[in-house]
Amino acid sequence: MTENISLEVPATLSALSTVRMVLGGLGARVDFSLEDLDDLFLATDRLLEAALDAEELDSLRVLVIVDGTTLRVTAGAFSSAELRDQVAVTPGGCIDLCILLQRLVDDVVVQEEDGCFTVLMVKQRSERVA
Amino acid sequence: MNGRDERRVNDPLDLESLPGQARHVADDDEEGEGAETTQEGPSADPEGRGKDDSEKLDQYLLRRYHLYGDRRAREQLITMYLPLVRSLARRYASRGEHFDDLVQVGAIGLIKAIDRFDLSRGVELTTYATPNIVGEIKRYFRDKGWSVRVPRGLQELNIRLNKVIDELVPKLQRSPTINELAEAANATPEEVLEALETSQAYNSVSLQASPNGESGEEDAGLIDYLGGEEEAYDTMEDRTTLAPGFAKLDKRERYILHLRFFEGLTQSQIAERVGISQMHVSRLIRRSLEKLREEIGDLDNPLPLRSSDDER
Repeated sequence: MTENISLEVPATLSALSTVRMVLGGLGARVDFSLEDLDDLFLATDRLLEAALDAEELDSLRVLVIVDGTTLRVTAGAFSSAELRDQVAVTPGGCIDLCILLQRLVDDVVVQEEDGCFTVLMVKQRSERVA
Repeated sequence: MNGRDERRVNDPLDLESLPGQARHVADDDEEGEGAETTQEGPSADPEGRGKDDSEKLDQYLLRRYHLYGDRRAREQLITMYLPLVRSLARRYASRGEHFDDLVQVGAIGLIKAIDRFDLSRGVELTTYATPNIVGEIKRYFRDKGWSVRVPRGLQELNIRLNKVIDELVPKLQRSPTINELAEAANATPEEVLEALETSQAYNSVSLQASPNGESGEEDAGLIDYLGGEEEAYDTMEDRTTLAPGFAKLDKRERYILHLRFFEGLTQSQIAERVGISQMHVSRLIRRSLEKLREEIGDLDNPLPLRSSDDER
């Protein structure tokens, strides 16, 4: 059974704290480790900061789907081609937004819709080795 | 025998010509924690070296350093007095900071004391170094203030969480969950999340900052006063052509970013390799990325980190 949580916060850096708290609560519910959460926080922060830099936004919309031990975080819709490129394309060998997201979450998908796009980040709970 | 060897043998003030003293440094290095708790400096020598001998050796090494610029004498003094630093740092270890961090900060005070020591004043180095070391540690606590008002309860929980995380990671052999942290810290998961969030309002002293609290390109950063660097730092540097943004990072920051984003190591794995806590790795990654962002813009036009292998 999945659970959807929608969030709309002001398009400001200080609002990212609210997003982190919500993600943290949901991550705790599916037993994410501190490290899993930290990675998800950083990925979300970087994506939303880049969005704030790239375009004029009134608010930031974030949809979180809790699916078993996985969080699916969708941010947007955005319209900046520059932001799309930052998320989707990397020349390789440098720490750009694309590389950051790829390393911090399990999957990143740019979803096109009506001339805009959203960014889906999928983070699964780490396997317990010990 | 080369010229350098001849000079050492013929130098009447050479450290090697003082029987037993070079060996004493090695012995200090090998001392365990138990020995350190009872030893507050070189004057309390477990091998029976007398206080007078210690003072003579101190004065000898100080003269070597201040009159002849002998860096080895300086290093020997630092090594000899590290037990004093550890002893003083231990007094402040219950305040929520890592003991090793306090030792490093205290070592900066020791180095300042050695560098500023005035041979003509006739005081013992222990007497002069102790207030310098304590002062440095106190300044560290003073500078690590909260940049925004955070309720005391959350501050205390944050400090408690740092300790709990350090205890749980080796015990669980993995990063703990929020629920595990909450249980161990006797708090609710919501309180844990709130405390972790507020920790972003906690200032930390930049290792790039001048120990004098001033900025300036010629000033050495605190990082320059800290312990030896892992050889892998240089190996990484050798293999990688660094982008200008990376030049603003210190070697450890570059190394950690390299491990996280190019080698794909987790924070815990990096923590183990570098010898710091996972939380510290997390903070360093954030801080380093922030520096990069400031340096090269918002990562939209990043300069390439090319492997030298690519150029061949």
